[in-house]
Amino acid sequence: MTIQTYWQLDVAEDAGRSEPGARQSGLFRDVRPATLNRYDYYAQVAQAAAQTAFDGLFLPHRPQSDDSGIVAAAIAREVSRLKLIPEFPASAGSAVYAAKQAVSFQRQTQERLGWAITNAGESAARAREGDHVPEDELHARVDEFLTVARGVHAERPFDFAGKHFEVQGGGFQEPLNRVAFPKVFLQGESEEALALSARVADVHLFAAAPLSKLRVFVETLDALALRAGRAIEFGLIQPVLARDDAVDARRDAERAGFPDAAIVGTYADVAERLADLARAGFRHFVLAAPSSLEEAYRIGQHVLPRFRALTERVTAAA
Amino acid sequence: MTIDFYWRLPSHGCHGSLRDTAYDRGDWSPIGPRNVAPGLDRNGEDDGFRYVDHLGAIAKAAESVGFIGGLIPSFPNTDDPWVISPLLARETKAFRFMIAFQPGFLNPVHAARMSASLQRATGGRTVFNIITGGGGPSQLWWGDSFSHDDRYGRTTEFLDVFKGVWGGEGFSYDGRFYQVRDGGLSPLLAREEIPEIWFSGSSDAALQSAAKHADYYLSWLEPFDQLADKFARVKARTAALGGEQKCAVRVDLVARPTEEEAWAEVRAGFESLSPERRQRARGGPTDSVGAARQQALRPSDATRYDELIVAPNLWGGFSLLRGGPALGIVGSYEQCAARLDELIARGTDAFILAGTPHLEEAYRVGEEVLPLLGRNAGALLQAAE
Repeated sequence: MTIQTYWQLDVAEDAGRSEPGARQSGLFRDVRPATLNRYDYYAQVAQAAAQTAFDGLFLPHRPQSDDSGIVAAAIAREVSRLKLIPEFPASAGSAVYAAKQAVSFQRQTQERLGWAITNAGESAARAREGDHVPEDELHARVDEFLTVARGVHAERPFDFAGKHFEVQGGGFQEPLNRVAFPKVFLQGESEEALALSARVADVHLFAAAPLSKLRVFVETLDALALRAGRAIEFGLIQPVLARDDAVDARRDAERAGFPDAAIVGTYADVAERLADLARAGFRHFVLAAPSSLEEAYRIGQHVLPRFRALTERVTAAA
Repeated sequence: MTIDFYWRLPSHGCHGSLRDTAYDRGDWSPIGPRNVAPGLDRNGEDDGFRYVDHLGAIAKAAESVGFIGGLIPSFPNTDDPWVISPLLARETKAFRFMIAFQPGFLNPVHAARMSASLQRATGGRTVFNIITGGGGPSQLWWGDSFSHDDRYGRTTEFLDVFKGVWGGEGFSYDGRFYQVRDGGLSPLLAREEIPEIWFSGSSDAALQSAAKHADYYLSWLEPFDQLADKFARVKARTAALGGEQKCAVRVDLVARPTEEEAWAEVRAGFESLSPERRQRARGGPTDSVGAARQQALRPSDATRYDELIVAPNLWGGFSLLRGGPALGIVGSYEQCAARLDELIARGTDAFILAGTPHLEEAYRVGEEVLPLLGRNAGALLQAAE
């Protein structure tokens, strides 16, 4: 299959940018209305990703900032081609209702939605969100959530009685059932998370890590999925920083406090390292760097063409 | 005094005419020779248009003739208003999105975050139509097994939490349906205004909940005396609790240059119905008090459209032509405006209007009926005092 590249639109990054409340008054005459705001910035990032040939946008769930689903919908019609993958918490509510929202999004955007479900945080964080499901039932809840959501989309009548969700005589009718269910993206490195993905995920996204460690995860999940009679695609959320020359890249990475697992280097270096990951079986690349707008242009313009040239051979060999 | 007028965005499909029960606007019915848009171009290829493009056209039409916003309904087969609203947010300027939803389907903290984000995306143009009724087998379709009165208890708690977390960080709540510990929206989100809350429901449980949380109490149209009584009761009950409740009516119109033309349209619509359709539209079991009141309004065996005229300019057969309430207003532009004025004089503070087809009728009602309003209201208000 072809490699998919997504740019990360993190609503918590560059938080002051385009925020009307963060405007500094000065000598210049400022005619910006309050309605020229953060959403215009989100749209700019999306357009940058579209213009530099990314396949989509990944929007992580950030409880303190704008809701990823609302942002994805607000910018969807300004980028007619990009896939949109807003992450949402498993505690969002009814599985039937979530599926209905997904189908509506699919219908209006020519099936450009991806479903990234997150089990948000430890118990105190979840209690702040009104989520009190015990720790050891979180994975089972996602499992049920997906069973119900896919069930009402595919079958009618659909019945289900689980621990967290219950439906009787459910199932979508025309015209809601004419679109495909979105591809499901899950994350996590724990044994339970991998086992869950083996059962229900379409794509499993790993956090960036050394290749040797990632290989073990991929082999484990591959084996679990095979045992469940399924095939999973693998992806990665990968911070990157690429510059014309390596010294600049290192300097800017230090300035920005990039994580250890980030790929830092020249355009050619970064493309080569990403191609190594593709050779290891990764097909979905969520690339991330602040500031999102400028870096989307830079990566899209300089790294992606090199990465594609390298991976044409990888995918042909596979 | 000004009155807010909303139009309806037909997220439940749109008829090209009152005389035709087929959803031939957009892709609601399978794409055929009659409904070419949106969906397929003349060569049968996907043209990239989607139903939201049709809804967008209606929103822009309604916005441009002065409607304050639009109701986006929520039924099992509708496109979801939480999706439609942000999709259209950046393509409209002043249009408010009234999101219909049942609170039980969302976690209130998540709903608050979504709402604050939508307020930020739209510059504060989010409004809620909170639905709690419905009931019967349709609630189980949604995955909701709570009883009628429990659902109102849950709605009350949902709004307690929704408003509570909106007040900022450090909010805790220990209810029967919801518990939050030390939560709350971040300052970034909490500085947005809480959306205006419109509330439906005719039962005692509904009125209790509305008195606590609603800005507007919303009713389907009923015979005017009955409606005025209901509004007076709602306002009195809320006043007794120290609040102030505004009242709103959702009503379909057939407005034409002359009364004869308006009735001719209704008659043609009625006569286009098959006997099966008339039978089917009589309604199934429900524990919605409002729906039962509407069902009681219409003779179950009408064979002529004029048997369904329940008062001057009031026709009780709208639910035969499409889903929803039975009663609507039919008349000349002047008569329609006079009936709306009368409703204002009897305690109506806001309206959600609708007409079929939604795009053309938004222009017709916006350009021909709304400017006539207020001619009678002054005199009627004086008479009422």
